[in-house]
Amino acid sequence: MDNGTGSLLETYLFETGTLLEQLDELLITAEQNGDFTEDNVNEIFRSMHTIKGSSAMLEFNSLMEIAHHIEDLFFYIRDNGMDTLTSDQKSELFNLMFSSVDKLREEVGKVESSEPLDTNIDGFIQDINNFLNKISNKDSSEAAGDDTEAPAAADGAAPTPQQIDAPYALQIFFDEGCGMENLRAFMLVTALQEIGKPFNFYPDDVETNSDSSEYIIENGFFLGFQTEEDAESAVAHVSTVGNVRSYEILDLTAAQKEEESSQPQSEPVQSPQPEAVSQPAPKKAPAPEKDKKPATQSSGSHGSAKQSLISVNLSKLDSLMAIVGEIVITESMVTSSPELQNLKLDSFLKSARQLRKLTDDLQDISMSLRMVSVASVFQKMNRIVRDMSKTLKRDTKLTIIGENTEVDKTIVDNIGDPIMHIVRNAMDHGIEETQEERIAAGKNPQGEIVLSAEHTGSEVIISIKDDGRGVNPDAVLAKAASQGLLTKPEEEYSQKEILALLLAPGFSTNTEVTEYSGRGVGMDVVKKNVESVGGVISISSELGKGSCFTLKIPLTLAIVDGMEISVGGSIFTIPIANIRQSFKAKESDVVLDAAGNEMIRCMDDYYPIIRLRDLYAMEEGCTTIDDGILMWVETSDKSYCLFVDELIGEQQIVVKPLPSYLNNFNIQNSGISGCTILGDGNISLILDVNNVYSASQNMFF
Amino acid sequence: MPETMQSVKNINDELERLESVQTPGNVVRFLTFISDGLHFGVNTNNVIEIINNHKIRPLPMVPDYVRGIINLRGQTLPIIDMRLRMGKPFQEYTPQTCIVILEIESNMIGVVVDSVAQVIDIDLDKTAPIPTENRQELTNSMISIDGTVILLLECEALIENHM
Repeated sequence: MDNGTGSLLETYLFETGTLLEQLDELLITAEQNGDFTEDNVNEIFRSMHTIKGSSAMLEFNSLMEIAHHIEDLFFYIRDNGMDTLTSDQKSELFNLMFSSVDKLREEVGKVESSEPLDTNIDGFIQDINNFLNKISNKDSSEAAGDDTEAPAAADGAAPTPQQIDAPYALQIFFDEGCGMENLRAFMLVTALQEIGKPFNFYPDDVETNSDSSEYIIENGFFLGFQTEEDAESAVAHVSTVGNVRSYEILDLTAAQKEEESSQPQSEPVQSPQPEAVSQPAPKKAPAPEKDKKPATQSSGSHGSAKQSLISVNLSKLDSLMAIVGEIVITESMVTSSPELQNLKLDSFLKSARQLRKLTDDLQDISMSLRMVSVASVFQKMNRIVRDMSKTLKRDTKLTIIGENTEVDKTIVDNIGDPIMHIVRNAMDHGIEETQEERIAAGKNPQGEIVLSAEHTGSEVIISIKDDGRGVNPDAVLAKAASQGLLTKPEEEYSQKEILALLLAPGFSTNTEVTEYSGRGVGMDVVKKNVESVGGVISISSELGKGSCFTLKIPLTLAIVDGMEISVGGSIFTIPIANIRQSFKAKESDVVLDAAGNEMIRCMDDYYPIIRLRDLYAMEEGCTTIDDGILMWVETSDKSYCLFVDELIGEQQIVVKPLPSYLNNFNIQNSGISGCTILGDGNISLILDVNNVYSASQNMFF
Repeated sequence: MPETMQSVKNINDELERLESVQTPGNVVRFLTFISDGLHFGVNTNNVIEIINNHKIRPLPMVPDYVRGIINLRGQTLPIIDMRLRMGKPFQEYTPQTCIVILEIESNMIGVVVDSVAQVIDIDLDKTAPIPTENRQELTNSMISIDGTVILLLECEALIENHM
């Protein structure tokens, strides 16, 4: 049984997670359009139905309840169309949906970490119900106008006392046992008076008569409004007040009509919500049959599209990749075996060529299996930008370019956080605080963040660009100085180095810690995460015009394009991504600095020379610059020349980690990140350009 | 030379056969090898195989006893030299030199020894602790068989960080 739930749970988490992600995406687009299309509504309805069903099966009650109520809500919307909603209601609906999706995700997160689920979701469900009531009440008033016989129409509107002489009433219940209901009601009244809309209330002696508490507990507190808009705006206020358990707009015009046509029903006043939940259902009973056809059709077409996809455990793909890597190596070991040299083997060579082609295809396909588009990561940024625009009150739009660019799954998983940090930073520090500031700078009042991804050969380039204030180099320098992060005199810092300070651990330009950023952790984590997937991060910025963060990331980690070099008969591999140039130089080109370190001039700048042979204390290898070759390599913040014996050639290599025993000796710090097995079975060490430099620094000082 | 090959092969066969045979009581099978004139014994449960004539890829910036890594059928294993590990002088590798591949706490490691001797049963109850003043870092018990003293290797000590 346990095993059964195990795999079921995994499927459930995957499925629900995907649905919620899709929902988020859908909501963002829908909010931009300001409307749900019919397809959107159907989609939400279906997703909620699925979540409800699978949650019920696994007995995740809170998830089931929430999904159930949203489903009800969209059931109603599907039947009535979005057009019946006012724009206020629409924006409320979007907020409600966003918070619902968040709530669902939170609960799913709890399922994932096997924490107990939230048992108290009443308040949340109440919100959904209230909204449903609000929109359906209005609708039911219309329905009542058309057809006064509709039996359910008056349900929500009945329990209003005659004392409120207004067409629209707001019935408010406070939290049970919160005490002093009359004073709470009075506070609400004073708060509403500040908005300046005309209204009256009942009981009207809340300020002085403490007995009115009991009436409020039992029947609720009533606010009367002349127009529906007034009532709506009051609702916005009421919903923010604490201790309000539920509230509901009652349409008294409908009730009055009802009373005219039939006997007034003196229904006992009870908590109206439970009834209201079931309210739309009986009324809509005939409708679903009409609606069902298009719905099932479209879900049918959805189903057939899904059937061509299967989800596979990533670890299986990892082992597939490892085996394919072995095959590629073994293939070249077999075909280039020294024992076959100088033999005339026509048919063997023919078969070998065939094999080479097949292994190449196999490698391509197994690599492509692991490729997923960056869209999932990019779409999440939509939500962050939306939320932050609201809380920080900086109107900003996010433009996404090239979201279909594909990269290795492991890399996608690792770049989510860095991109999020950068986007948050751009929102928090980049975009100007007020629109006036932007207008004064001659920019569009609406800020813009452009998130783009594109392929270049074996790399993907992701850039996050904002059109905000840009980085003020002097401020950064001053800040870094005050935080004690400078390692040399201020005036020696170049623009590039100053920008690199932004990525230093502990650096924060914000003096205050906000919800989103300013703790100074973040940007150095960004750098670390990007580098952990073999990527490079660079920043460019122009004061007043904006900043741009560029991440250069390899498409895959398992297979890397490397340049093989040799030093004293040993073979090393340098990732092509780090190589800028290789060139021959003469002993006379080398200049020495005061400490006797060698440097060489490339493109008008001087770069240090590191001799691999000396660094690794090897016995053989070239000693004079003329005999060997210089490789100009660089990472995000370092650029230097490596002196090696010779270049052997470019090759795709399968990266293997070094045996864990060697971690005892901090092998990573010596500049070796892994190893790879060459076609002849020999081992080549993969150099980590960044750490080679650090290692050489440690050696000299 | 063919003799060495033969003996290595025999021991490898023996190791393979042993996998299915369980010895009773406190009697444990040990593979004995010689390094710098000393006889050592290592529990056969830890021994994967014995190889020789393998090309070792040296690593930079590691202690001298770490000779490098080898490619054993697609797996990369670190290789340490027993003599250097004990602080003895390095001796050039000869055809007799073997690499004993051990699996210690799921880490695979190769140990370079002067030569391998045989597989013998050792009753652990008959072993004696090594006197403290003679104690070696890698061994803490010994047994004398037919006049030959065999030091029993502590495999775990071998992979612990020793700088």
